[in-house]
Amino acid sequence: MTEPLVIETAGLRKQYGVREAIRNVNLGVPAGSIYGFLGRNGAGKTTTIKILLGMMRPDAGSARVFGLPSEMPTSSVDIRRRTGFVSEDKDLYDYMTVGEIVRFTAGFYPRWRADLEDRYLRKFELPLDRRVRELSRGTRTKLALLLALCRSAELLILDEPTSGLDPAVSEEVLQLLVSHVAGEQLTVFFSSHQISEVDQIADRVAIIDQGRIVVAGELEELRASYRRIQFVFDGEAPDVVFRTPGVVRAHRNGRVITVLSSAGSEHVVHEARALKPVAVDVLPVTLKEIFLETVTVEG
Amino acid sequence: MLWHKTWRETQLRFYIGFILLVLLAGGGALEYPQIVKLLPAVSGADLTSELGRRIKEAAELQRTFRGYVWSQWFRQNLPQLGTLFAILIGSGSPITHGSRGAALFTLSLPASRTRLVAVRGAVGLVQLIVFAFVPSLVLVVMARGMGEAYSVVDLLIHGLCWFVGVSVFFALALLLSTMFDDLLRPLLVACAIAVVVGLSSLVFEGVARYGIYALMSGETYFRTGAVPWVGLLAGAALSSAIFYAAVVNISARDF
Repeated sequence: MTEPLVIETAGLRKQYGVREAIRNVNLGVPAGSIYGFLGRNGAGKTTTIKILLGMMRPDAGSARVFGLPSEMPTSSVDIRRRTGFVSEDKDLYDYMTVGEIVRFTAGFYPRWRADLEDRYLRKFELPLDRRVRELSRGTRTKLALLLALCRSAELLILDEPTSGLDPAVSEEVLQLLVSHVAGEQLTVFFSSHQISEVDQIADRVAIIDQGRIVVAGELEELRASYRRIQFVFDGEAPDVVFRTPGVVRAHRNGRVITVLSSAGSEHVVHEARALKPVAVDVLPVTLKEIFLETVTVEG
Repeated sequence: MLWHKTWRETQLRFYIGFILLVLLAGGGALEYPQIVKLLPAVSGADLTSELGRRIKEAAELQRTFRGYVWSQWFRQNLPQLGTLFAILIGSGSPITHGSRGAALFTLSLPASRTRLVAVRGAVGLVQLIVFAFVPSLVLVVMARGMGEAYSVVDLLIHGLCWFVGVSVFFALALLLSTMFDDLLRPLLVACAIAVVVGLSSLVFEGVARYGIYALMSGETYFRTGAVPWVGLLAGAALSSAIFYAAVVNISARDF
């Protein structure tokens, strides 16, 4: 059975002056998934997230969260009532103490999880009387996560949750997310430019590049359908354009043509047979390779 | 919740303003006996020039404690210093508090932008009500201890006039704060507008009596005993319109 979509966008577009931040973004995030939103810095991840939370209005297209339109002020409040959010900067009210900001945030959520609050306060060793401005970036991230996780949210939206953290704290944060999701019924939508962390915890992924979604789907399916196929020829490889659907990219280098296909290898191999290669190698592809092959390389 | 956040963000400005106004009001009461002693010197002086006329007029007002309180406190100190602190309290975005990241935290909470501005406005207006009445009450109580009397009704009506008038500048600072995320620009622009309005009332004396500073000082009530209902309603309508503009502006903004 297909899970209902918690986040659904159609033809989303946003322009800053002459620059198009996102264009024709179509996303579908099923309930219960951990959805990685992968893209380089400035690819349009934060803009998309801001539109989902009603912080920004799209120029065109629509965004629905829990079936509610995010650009409508009243439904946006409902969306935020059911959503936990951690911003990339993890900026909180720096004049408040940890205890104060926890009480402040809890006041907005009638279903605030005091048990989780106690657990995470202890686990993260957060000092209740310390001002937010005195916390290290890692501790501030943990506090921001606590504030997002204790809301009894049905959806967690995390914008670059591990940015600026050292590897040990990043790992701790990712493990926490996985264990939290395992124990609660919730959907996680998180943006990142770290391929490894998306690979580590996501079950679905969308890659955004220059404001466009270039790849989207279940991670396992992507891994199964993407293939790198190498054709080796006797002499110089022929200059050929592959017409088989699913060919993402083809490189010719001396006697070798390397093809990246998003639709398995069978049809590409069939098409290339007419070129009479002397050897054909079909290789699995990692998420990192998919990412690097699909995003535009600058310079 | 939100009121607590707003209070935390404005409390320092409020306390400084409150203490200064109380000190000024108390000092004014203590100063009155000295003023009374100086009045005979003014009566004997040759005051035929324009400046002299004004000094004489001021001296005449100060022959009674009611006139002294009005001319020194409700016409001068409270409108000037009080307006500055009303603008200071109104300045600063109701959402960002200095950084865009904290703005995203605020905007991720299940509170509408209208509510954010409304709470900010409501907390500010309560602070202005304290400014309007408490320092004046200190002045009256201290004066009573020195043998002078001042009507509580006068205090309430002058306080109301100041409050309605100053709420226009407070709303203006709030509106500007929905346009700029920092504290400084709304503060400077609102102060500049307040100074221009004040100076223009000196230049155009004919229309000054209909101006916002005349409303704040309660001049009509002081001179005629009539409460300036039209001015109060106009002031309240103007500040409400500016508050509404602030709500519309912040609702339309992208963060």
